[in-house]
Amino acid sequence: MSVAEFLKGLPSYNEDNFSKFHADSNARVSLKKPSVYIPTKDFPSEQVIVTEKTSILLRYLHQHWDKKGFQKKRDHISLDNADDCNQSRKRPRIDCVGTP
Amino acid sequence: MAFHYVVTAHKPTAVTSCVTGNFTSPNDLNLIVAKNSRLEIYLVTPEGLRPIKEVGLYGKVAVMKLYRPQQENKDYLFIVTMRYHAMILECVSDDDNLEIITKAHGNVADRIGKPSDTGIIAVIDPRARVIGLRLYDGLFKIIPLDKENSELKASSIRMDELQVTDVEFLHGCANPTIVLIHQDVNGRHVKTHEISLRDKEFVKIPWRQDNVETEASMIIPVPSPLCGAIIVGQESILYHDGMTSVAVAPPIIKQSTIICYAKVDPSGLRYLLGDMAGHLFMLFLDVETKGDGSDVVKDLKVELLGEISSPECITYLDNGVLYIGSRMGDSQLVKLNTKADDNGSYVTIMESFTNLAPIMDMCVVDLERQGQGQLVTCSGAYKEGSLRIIRNGIGIQEHASIDLPGIKGMWALTVASDGKHDNTLVLAFVGQTRVLSLNGEEVEETEIAGFTSDQQTFYCGNVRYEQIIQVTPVSARLVSAQNKTLVAEWKPPTEKNISVVASNSEQVVVSTGSDLYYIEIHQNELIMKGHTTLNVEIACLDISPLGNNATSSQLVAVGLWTDISACILKLPDLAEVYKENLGGEIIPRSVLMTTFENHTYLLCALGDGSMFYFSLHRESGVLTDKKKVTLGTQPTALRTFKSLSTTNVFACSDRPTVIYSSNHKLVFSNVNMKEVNHMCSLNAEAFPDSLALATDTSVTIGTIDEIQKLHIRTVALQESPRRIAYQEQSQTFGVVSVRMDIQDSTGLNPARPSASTMTQSVTVSSSVGSLSLGKSSVSGISGTNLTPEYGQEVEVHNLLIIDQHTFEVLHAHQLMQQEYAMSLISCQLGDDPNMYYIIGTAIVNPEESEPKQGRLLIFQWADNKLTPISEKEIKGACYSLAEFNGKLLASINSTVRLFEWTAEKELRLECSHFNNIITLYLKTKGDFVLVGDLMRSMTLLQYKTMEGSFEEIARDYNPNWMTGVEILDDDIFLGSENSFNIFVCQKDSAATADEERLQMQEVGQFHVGDMINVFRHGSLVMQNLGETSTPTTGCVLFGTVGGAIGLVTQISSEFFDFLLEVQNRMSSIIKSVGKIEHAHWRSFHTDIKTEPCKGFIDGDLIESFLDLSTDKMKEVVDGLQMIGDGSMRQECTVDDLIKMVEDLTRIH
Repeated sequence: MSVAEFLKGLPSYNEDNFSKFHADSNARVSLKKPSVYIPTKDFPSEQVIVTEKTSILLRYLHQHWDKKGFQKKRDHISLDNADDCNQSRKRPRIDCVGTP
Repeated sequence: MAFHYVVTAHKPTAVTSCVTGNFTSPNDLNLIVAKNSRLEIYLVTPEGLRPIKEVGLYGKVAVMKLYRPQQENKDYLFIVTMRYHAMILECVSDDDNLEIITKAHGNVADRIGKPSDTGIIAVIDPRARVIGLRLYDGLFKIIPLDKENSELKASSIRMDELQVTDVEFLHGCANPTIVLIHQDVNGRHVKTHEISLRDKEFVKIPWRQDNVETEASMIIPVPSPLCGAIIVGQESILYHDGMTSVAVAPPIIKQSTIICYAKVDPSGLRYLLGDMAGHLFMLFLDVETKGDGSDVVKDLKVELLGEISSPECITYLDNGVLYIGSRMGDSQLVKLNTKADDNGSYVTIMESFTNLAPIMDMCVVDLERQGQGQLVTCSGAYKEGSLRIIRNGIGIQEHASIDLPGIKGMWALTVASDGKHDNTLVLAFVGQTRVLSLNGEEVEETEIAGFTSDQQTFYCGNVRYEQIIQVTPVSARLVSAQNKTLVAEWKPPTEKNISVVASNSEQVVVSTGSDLYYIEIHQNELIMKGHTTLNVEIACLDISPLGNNATSSQLVAVGLWTDISACILKLPDLAEVYKENLGGEIIPRSVLMTTFENHTYLLCALGDGSMFYFSLHRESGVLTDKKKVTLGTQPTALRTFKSLSTTNVFACSDRPTVIYSSNHKLVFSNVNMKEVNHMCSLNAEAFPDSLALATDTSVTIGTIDEIQKLHIRTVALQESPRRIAYQEQSQTFGVVSVRMDIQDSTGLNPARPSASTMTQSVTVSSSVGSLSLGKSSVSGISGTNLTPEYGQEVEVHNLLIIDQHTFEVLHAHQLMQQEYAMSLISCQLGDDPNMYYIIGTAIVNPEESEPKQGRLLIFQWADNKLTPISEKEIKGACYSLAEFNGKLLASINSTVRLFEWTAEKELRLECSHFNNIITLYLKTKGDFVLVGDLMRSMTLLQYKTMEGSFEEIARDYNPNWMTGVEILDDDIFLGSENSFNIFVCQKDSAATADEERLQMQEVGQFHVGDMINVFRHGSLVMQNLGETSTPTTGCVLFGTVGGAIGLVTQISSEFFDFLLEVQNRMSSIIKSVGKIEHAHWRSFHTDIKTEPCKGFIDGDLIESFLDLSTDKMKEVVDGLQMIGDGSMRQECTVDDLIKMVEDLTRIH
């Protein structure tokens, strides 16, 4: 396929665009400068981007705790030690809340 | 204490990113260009790109992406700055008014993490479900785009791949899926990860492709229905979608590295690729339809379309037009044609956008010796390398031009019309007068019946009672403006011809040699009311009415031959009321009485381009406050014109100048035209509020800028300029430039023609010079093969000698193979009267950790010949050179060394200083030397003349990695470092303790946001005019990697306090786009610390005061106190502050 065929049918969103383009007489160097936007109105931001503060290691451990926790608890229950979850200080609170 | 004002004189021009989409409204097609910390928004129109707005951010843009949020009909802009501020911006516009609304913002930095070597990468899911960020090695941060929540929670995902080259989101995936190129010990691989937004984890790897090309660096995601990704490498292009894999290795792409792409079709069949060398390719996906009706990629085709500026980014706009953003050269608007031109190129350049970046070095010169500096920069790199000549002045926008040589005078008239607009231009030539009528934009020659056309007109103009006056050497003729007939004529009573004339709408003064006649204009009558004979001949006259609505004058100003004086005569009797002897031997050529800001002046221009100006007392005619200024070198003619209802004077000469008044001080501003002989105001229908300007060969009609600004001229070198030095004696610039040569079968050959290969005269340093041959066995050079591998690019360094007037390359001197020119100065040494160019070099051996050899080369340019005078071998790279009390100071690797120039024209080492890592920069003042180190900030040395040694006076102990240093005054030193900050150190010589004396205090610090490569003392505006209107002292200009030019100047402590108060008020009134605090942006920030900005005023923020609405200006000054006359504190009004800020804008 030739380059000319390659270049056929280039997308056109508005066929007028660039139709009246005139190169400036002064050596095609653009002198046009946009005006500077000086915002003075305060628009409150709808959303704030916050970075999760927990490190990925902690999050990983938490997630795994979730999965393991259930298993362990089942083990404990089978050993008939129902109050165990209140004694374990390191267990996250959600675990306790989660138990019926 | 030290207080400074830092401001951008020329905003950064390097384009780092560009995007296209519907930003300002659903129907607008926009181009958005990021230049360092500024965004430029354009609208695509039938006429081309229309600038809409420039938006400043308090951060340097690292990534900019435009995306279409779900359920929206226009695009939002997502930006991450270098300091990890993320923002989502929406544009809301109604007619003229446009607001940028920060939809979301926040900092996405982590407290720990190793910033990736490949920079910040940000990608957005094609269905706008999530934003992905790769900021630190081993982590991928996701920001799910929840509409409901007031918080957008960014969370990090652990990523096994540490060295990631590129990341993209794949199209057509049920869950957001990224594809990445990563590197490990085995090579580069492509891998995909599906993201679970709920668990914030990578859940599976849909597909992977190990061991792709070792230089694979860029991913192009392919849209639906094809999907998959294109992996672009150094030599090959691969398409992969998990099932199909198609790879091609077209030879045309091997020459350089592809660094950017643009999607052409929304369906993703065609892409534009740009490589470092400026080749533009098109990549085409050849598709075949399979039995089940789905399309699969069968083949990839790549074709070369043509050459463009070295691209950084490309975007497809519309109808075959592209925007090419460049960091190293001018950005471009280009059009793709289906037919190749004569050179086989399918690309036409439509428009170029000037770019100074990167500024490697620069010098401030006053070529015209006018007291106004011009800046000549080493700009661009590789094929985009150029010198740029930057000059401050008022611009004339040319609207029409007519070729007409020999014009001696020019006036605009209103003839036979309602009188609102000028419709006629009268042109005087030797022995004749021609009349042009202006009909719309058409210009045709016509006649005015009452005029004589076979005489040169001396003056012509509309006068009262709808009449026109024409004065020729023979007579003064009064003509009716309506029916163009002669109604009266006045001839001098003697045989003598009229030589000089001046007129206003009611009065005429005419001289014939030393006789002076005063004539009044009446209806159909010219009445002589006065006559006098002066002692000497009259050279020039003026009778301009003084005062706002005055139509006649009480005074006549006269410039005289022989006794070289200016006198003021009273009307009607022409009695002398004041005489001022100008002194010297140069005749006055033009006098003008004018009123600026209700103050009356007499301006008197002489034949040598200089001008006197006086205060003129309106009633008594007394002249006071004599001052002189040099405007040009040729006889100067003064003309008034009105612009925005204020009076201005245009001084026509070889250096056209506009004179106006600000704060009751005269301001002289250059005009960006080479030469103007005559000018007149022209207010025609097609050319409202214009000027007609006559040069030797033509008439130009144009409008004049309201304010002065920088004008840039380009001298293309097509190779990288690195260092520049100016030598006034030989009227040349010395430029160190670097060219790329390629080793091929015939040897080392230039990659393309450039300045050093195209010049007529070339000399070469023998590559087996005294140094490398004699010492090769010791230095290890013999160990390396001097012939590079086939196809390898080799840097070849040259000294170019360039004419200061024509900028023609007169000579190129090529250095040895592997010899890099590091520094260049022009100076005199010792008692030797000759001016030399001195180059410091390094012999670069890739196997050595730092250069162990180099040379100091001394050349003389005289009689169009470059003569090597002396050569000195040194043990390392000479990073910097300076002239120091007639001796040569050089920084060589970690040392500072001083060389004497002996009578035998040889350099002899006198003394050295060792206490640095790598001494990169040297600046000198008197006996002091300021040293800038690679990583140990700045040190001040003093040369002890008696002992002949250096003593370390003071040092800044902060670990700053320097990019430039400058001495501001005896105690204050300016430095820039590689995290885009500047700082000021002060030495305390008065301190009692040794320890305090030896330690410099950092008294100022400021975040510029761009890397500064060079500092130079100098100014871009006229100096030493006797009236410094701003309370600033000294001026240091700086050039940046982003192509910005800025300046640092000292201000008083009172003024600093005042401006700081203004700055604080401004920073709360001007809302930050992206909601980054101004104080945060300007805080001194490096990898190891962030400290508040101090000792600097942000001039960019202060100067934006002038762009505020009146209401907001009032808000700024409300309750603001300033130091008024007599050091009394007083209320600052809006006008006071406008004037102050205007004065500050005028220092650049």
